[in-house]
Amino acid sequence: MSIFIQILFNSLETGSILALATMGIILIFRTSKAFNYAQGAISMFCAFIAAYFMANTGANVFISTIVGVLGAVGVGVIIDRVVIKRMIKLHSVSKQIVTLGLVIVFLGLAPMFFGNIPYTYRRFAQGTHSIFGATITYSAMVNIAIGIAIMVALFFVIQKTKWGLAVRATASNDVVARMMGIPTSIVTMGAWAVAAALGSLAAMMVAPTTTVNFVMMDSIQITALLACVLGGLGTFFGPVFAAYLIALARNLISFYISSVWADAIVYLLILGILLISPNGIFGKKLVKKV
Amino acid sequence: MSNALLKAENLSIAFGGLKAVDDLSFEMNEGEIYGIIGPNGAGKTTAFNCITQFYRPDAGKVLFNAKEKGMIDLVGKKPHDIIGLGLVRTFQNVELIVSLSVIENLLVGAHTAFKSSLFSQILKLPKARREEEVLRKRAEAVLESLNLLHLKDMPALMQPYGIQKRIELGRTLMLNPKLIILDEPAAGLNDVETQALVQTVKDISSQYKCGILLIEHDMNFVSNVCQRICAINFGKLLAIGTPEEIKVNHDVQEAYLGKDEA
Amino acid sequence: MNVLALYKKSRPYSSYVIFGVLLALAPLMVNLGVLRFFHLTLIAGVVIYAIVALGLNLLMGYAGLVSLGTAAFMGVGAYLTAFFTQDLGMDFLPSIVLTVVITSILGILVGLLSLRVEGFFLAMATLAVAEILRQVFIEFTGFTNSFVGRTANFPEFFGFTMNRNQTFILLVVFLVLAMFVTQSFANSYTGRALSAMRGSEAAASAMGINIFKYRLIAFSVSTAYAGLGGALYMHFIRFTFPNVWMFTLSLMLFAVVVIGGVRSVAGTVVGAFVVFGVPDLILVNIPVIGDINGMAFVFTGVLIIVVVMYYPAGLIYIWHDIKVLVHKVRGRGKV
Repeated sequence: MSIFIQILFNSLETGSILALATMGIILIFRTSKAFNYAQGAISMFCAFIAAYFMANTGANVFISTIVGVLGAVGVGVIIDRVVIKRMIKLHSVSKQIVTLGLVIVFLGLAPMFFGNIPYTYRRFAQGTHSIFGATITYSAMVNIAIGIAIMVALFFVIQKTKWGLAVRATASNDVVARMMGIPTSIVTMGAWAVAAALGSLAAMMVAPTTTVNFVMMDSIQITALLACVLGGLGTFFGPVFAAYLIALARNLISFYISSVWADAIVYLLILGILLISPNGIFGKKLVKKV
Repeated sequence: MSNALLKAENLSIAFGGLKAVDDLSFEMNEGEIYGIIGPNGAGKTTAFNCITQFYRPDAGKVLFNAKEKGMIDLVGKKPHDIIGLGLVRTFQNVELIVSLSVIENLLVGAHTAFKSSLFSQILKLPKARREEEVLRKRAEAVLESLNLLHLKDMPALMQPYGIQKRIELGRTLMLNPKLIILDEPAAGLNDVETQALVQTVKDISSQYKCGILLIEHDMNFVSNVCQRICAINFGKLLAIGTPEEIKVNHDVQEAYLGKDEA
Repeated sequence: MNVLALYKKSRPYSSYVIFGVLLALAPLMVNLGVLRFFHLTLIAGVVIYAIVALGLNLLMGYAGLVSLGTAAFMGVGAYLTAFFTQDLGMDFLPSIVLTVVITSILGILVGLLSLRVEGFFLAMATLAVAEILRQVFIEFTGFTNSFVGRTANFPEFFGFTMNRNQTFILLVVFLVLAMFVTQSFANSYTGRALSAMRGSEAAASAMGINIFKYRLIAFSVSTAYAGLGGALYMHFIRFTFPNVWMFTLSLMLFAVVVIGGVRSVAGTVVGAFVVFGVPDLILVNIPVIGDINGMAFVFTGVLIIVVVMYYPAGLIYIWHDIKVLVHKVRGRGKV
């Protein structure tokens, strides 16, 4: 029982972190029609901003995190205005190439601004609590709460508000949306800002365990991309659900089979599932028009 | 009938709740020029895609008199297996390979005739060279018959639309097909070009001894070129007959011109 | 005329040979004191990465697929040849052949796992596979010696061991061969099938091209190039450890293709020089800029974005455009 609760809580925590990153990627995929390979690198860079701020001002973790998230919003807006806005007409493969170029840019910018040494990052809360014999850290609870709260809030915004409608309209057909008077360029800019913020939040949540370094987001980025495909690219809900599911699977594998090979086994499992069901677990078969 | 080339039997496909093709049956003979007509959105292209297996029909059969194998059902075959049976298609929005030259586009049409191994291609062994030479000759002959030979090394991308359509037509001729399916061949052509196309289609049919199935909504073009016509609307069969019969058919007129209010 | 020239299928094999001969003079230049010792290592790196990028260019330029696991496949090649030559005592040539065969089989397996899904999925799948392989490099200590690393020797043939300069010339020979093979592959019916597939999947399958099969061929060939490159690396640098084969290297190889010019053999070689040569040869010598951390990455990354947005055919066509410009200016002068 205690083991089960422990695994469940761990999965909820890693799931929340992964879900934030996944949400960022799917948001950009739906509005800009491109997989953002740079999200992990952008998040890493923004975690550096927060950690650098924390180290140099002695600010507490909440203020540093807010600084990091604001930095991410700024970075997102700059990327959209400088790069993405100019490539609306490009083929989606070209857009993907551009996001890969961005990865390299941020891998260069991070050492340029912050040097080559990793930073530490404090947890949101200290101490632990015992539930049914399982040890749950307060910081895990905060991470879970933040993750779930943000997911719920985002789904509410997307489904129920005028801005959410604009996002969904842009996602379903940006040309028609523009003709209907929806400011798709602002929607896209907002999507990049929000996505960067979500990813950076995820980065700052893992930072206490990984330290802030250049490769801190690599495995989250890969898993989040796979979660998008596994959950089906047609919805916002599917990928987020897949993110929690993957986190659960990973924790189970890591506990019962092997912690060293957990990532590898999860990747192979996802590849296997997609081999059988190429449109993801919730995806519908799209009929291509010829 | 003994010389049937293509037989569609009770073909149906639905997208969501919409029946795009609904219980469609028709039959065409060897060497015949056959038309499927219908107003926009009648399900013509969908019917085409069902025949060429780009869509898998929900029900029905597509029987095709393949070269040596006799009558076989195409349903369930992969799109890339269809051409090997002697059935080749064009596309509504001319799908040429823009990064290749005109003659190379034709050579893509002969893809299944190439047999040399990857190894001998990379090392340019004599077998691969010979094969390439033979099929290049063939492509030049086809281009010549379509009066396109002078363009052979030009990029396909830069050709005017009418020429692109002829190149695509040429691409279908590379393997001596038994049946060529043309998807809206006259769309986007001006009157002169359409007139020329009538002759080209007839020439191809007699010269290459193949059946031609075309879909169109341009009634005039279809009447001038086809021996028989199948008219459909909302995915359902309206009438089959000669161009003259179809022109005076009440249901067809209604589908094209709307119901008589009086 | 200007655009037509792009399409004219030139078969510039003789210029490849001339290029190779010139490049093979580099060791002589070192002996004469024109180039320094480390320059040769640097140029050898450019040569090796150019070979790998040629394979990647077949995949990206012709099949329209992106792989982000190239470095990991290079790593497999490096460890395999180390195993064959050091542990099994094989000669250089059979070891190379075996390495290339095994990496291309690995490519087929990865392709079987990932290419049934849409084309875009290959990039993600290779990203994941690269992570798995990296884990293998770290954990399979008996085979890879983990972070301690593995060593190998300069190539050995029938008891004769090459020296550094001879090995460099061997690398150049392999590059010229790879350029030759890439060019004939691109002009073969398989190359046309890949172009057709990238241009229009619908038209390609209507012409009888099995999309899945040709994607698999393209990917497997590109992994074979990567395996070859990794093996050659191992026999020139003679040392490897897991962190050599990271995601960043895959990204840099990807950058080579985009920046140099997709669908261009010469462009790929130019791209390899721009990405792997320019930062270490030129940027570091510029005052102030040369001392900034991460400058090489920012340079390469920005170059990718600029090329995609303003020069999608790649830098190789700058030369061509200059010729056209000169032609125009002259033409005007005459009239």
